[in-house]
Amino acid sequence: MSIKDFSTRLPTALAAAVSLCAMVAAAPAGAADKLTYFTWSGYELPDFHKSFTAAHPDSVEISTFGDDDDAFTKVKAGFHPDLAHPCYDKIARWNKEGLLEPIDTAKIKNWEKIFPVFRNLPDIQAGDGKVWMVPWDWGNTSILYRTDLVSNPEKSWNLLWDPQYAGRMATIDAVHDTPVVAALVAGVNPFDMSPAELDKVAEKLREQRPLLSSYTTDMTSVEQALTSGELVAAMTWNASAVALKKQGVPVEFMKPKEGMLTWACGFVMLKGTTHQDLAYDFINSRLEADSGKALIESYGYGASTSSAFAAAPPADLKALELPDDPDTVLKSTVFTGPMKQNDELSKMFEKVKAGG
Amino acid sequence: MPVESGSARRSVAAPWMFQAAMGLPGAFVTLVFILFALALVLFLALRGNDGSLLGQGFTLANFEALVTDPLYAMVMARSLVIAGIVTLATVVTAYPVAWYLAFHAGRRRSLILFLVTLPFWTSYLLRVFAWRIILAYNGVLNSALIGLGIIDQPLTLFINSPAAVVITLAHAYAPFAILPIYVALEAIPPSLKEAAADLGAKPFATFRRVILPLSMPGVMAGAVVVFVPTVGDYVTPALVGGPASTMIGSLIQSSFGKANDWPFGAALAVAVMAVILLVGLVTRSVNRRAGGIA
Repeated sequence: MSIKDFSTRLPTALAAAVSLCAMVAAAPAGAADKLTYFTWSGYELPDFHKSFTAAHPDSVEISTFGDDDDAFTKVKAGFHPDLAHPCYDKIARWNKEGLLEPIDTAKIKNWEKIFPVFRNLPDIQAGDGKVWMVPWDWGNTSILYRTDLVSNPEKSWNLLWDPQYAGRMATIDAVHDTPVVAALVAGVNPFDMSPAELDKVAEKLREQRPLLSSYTTDMTSVEQALTSGELVAAMTWNASAVALKKQGVPVEFMKPKEGMLTWACGFVMLKGTTHQDLAYDFINSRLEADSGKALIESYGYGASTSSAFAAAPPADLKALELPDDPDTVLKSTVFTGPMKQNDELSKMFEKVKAGG
Repeated sequence: MPVESGSARRSVAAPWMFQAAMGLPGAFVTLVFILFALALVLFLALRGNDGSLLGQGFTLANFEALVTDPLYAMVMARSLVIAGIVTLATVVTAYPVAWYLAFHAGRRRSLILFLVTLPFWTSYLLRVFAWRIILAYNGVLNSALIGLGIIDQPLTLFINSPAAVVITLAHAYAPFAILPIYVALEAIPPSLKEAAADLGAKPFATFRRVILPLSMPGVMAGAVVVFVPTVGDYVTPALVGGPASTMIGSLIQSSFGKANDWPFGAALAVAVMAVILLVGLVTRSVNRRAGGIA
């Protein structure tokens, strides 16, 4: 083939590739008679919905994402699962796009067992006994560090800005993690900031970028890198702390003086679902005490129901540093609620990551 | 189309219908998947972002931001440099392989051709992960260097660096360069080599004056096939690159993903197409001036 052929076909081929990607993202999911569920990777375990599987064998199709902003654009582009699993801070955003169908709490058997702090979250109220999201899980984000490689650090998020560990740290590639922490360190309110404050956060993120080995949502790689000593400290969720402690890696999940981040996520039903009954069965199955207990024991994340905590052995909860009342935790942590400048923040974060 | 005289009507109509039928799938693909898609990207690039699927209003603000913010020129330049190094590395390493295939492989030629295409039997993602295993902190390369006593601490500079992106891409695209160069070398009549030898040219002079110029079209074709997709790659930098090797493809991907600004992503895509077109045109004119055939 001659160069001429190539140079005339290249731009079109490139455009075709780009649009093909969009089309793949927009492709409708799964078989018609199955419930489709779109969730964080790691949340697909069958142990979390045993009774659903017993009642409806082989009738859920699960796809996963690594970041709920990516999930949002995928759904916006035409991927229509029946249920999805974003976090609380994103609900207003999903709702604004008209993607959500209200969920009737009367059909949720264990609704009353959900801790009031989650049940009463303002953005999930759809009025008339209905909600936009059924809370299912909550957990903390902090710095996981190797106690043998980082000796007696100050208990502060500033560790992730310490030049002596340059190239051996990583943070989470999501707007509600790294930029929120940068805002806390910069002394800015992460959830509502002026343009000048946004610049301050950007400055803080720019300062951090050369010190990082990567921005990632691939927690398996982060855990492996902490184990091998490639990383000495990384921003992780508490599941990574649980996993590495189980393996005997000398790590500590820091309690920074600025506060850990606490997040809560849950199920949303997408508008136009044709599997409402299956969806309610699925949510009900996941809210059973057993399912919540499995979540606590596999990952060390908190379940949203008091019944799940009652089912888990107190000794386990103590070892996981998981108090059976999220209110206790929230006294000392920063709850990631909706960020007013989410779009501006994420655009800025993307630019900083690229070196701008 | 030449019309043959004296034959029956049918045989005049048949080739026309045959050609139309043969051309139909291509025309359909070109119109729907290429021209329409390209028009859509152009359209989107001129829209303002309001968070909706196709944006609103018409504006040049996206292109303005592209030109005024030095970040985009810098990332574009970085992508061109990385893709350029990848292309150079690929072509330089592919040439000897193609040479051996064309002139010395003999009976083993088909076996070697098979081996060259072997990496394609595994997914691209697996090949990237294989390099992660080799380049990682506790990976094959670091372990080997420690074993040989060259270093005593594992080095962190292999993985999550632009060098890792170059190595991974150069390996992944090697067959794309080997095959066109091989075809070009294969097409050179052996008599030319003999004639050069008869006229007293030493092997290196034969290579420089005869073989290399004649194989240039293959080299250029290989270079373009490697260069163009690597400029826009975003998977490799995401998996082995680290923050210092964000490429323009990564920015386009994040505009359509996390940053939720499709019009800007489309504008970036248009800009990349323009830059690649420019690079293509420059290469072609340089090549022409140098007396190449392509």
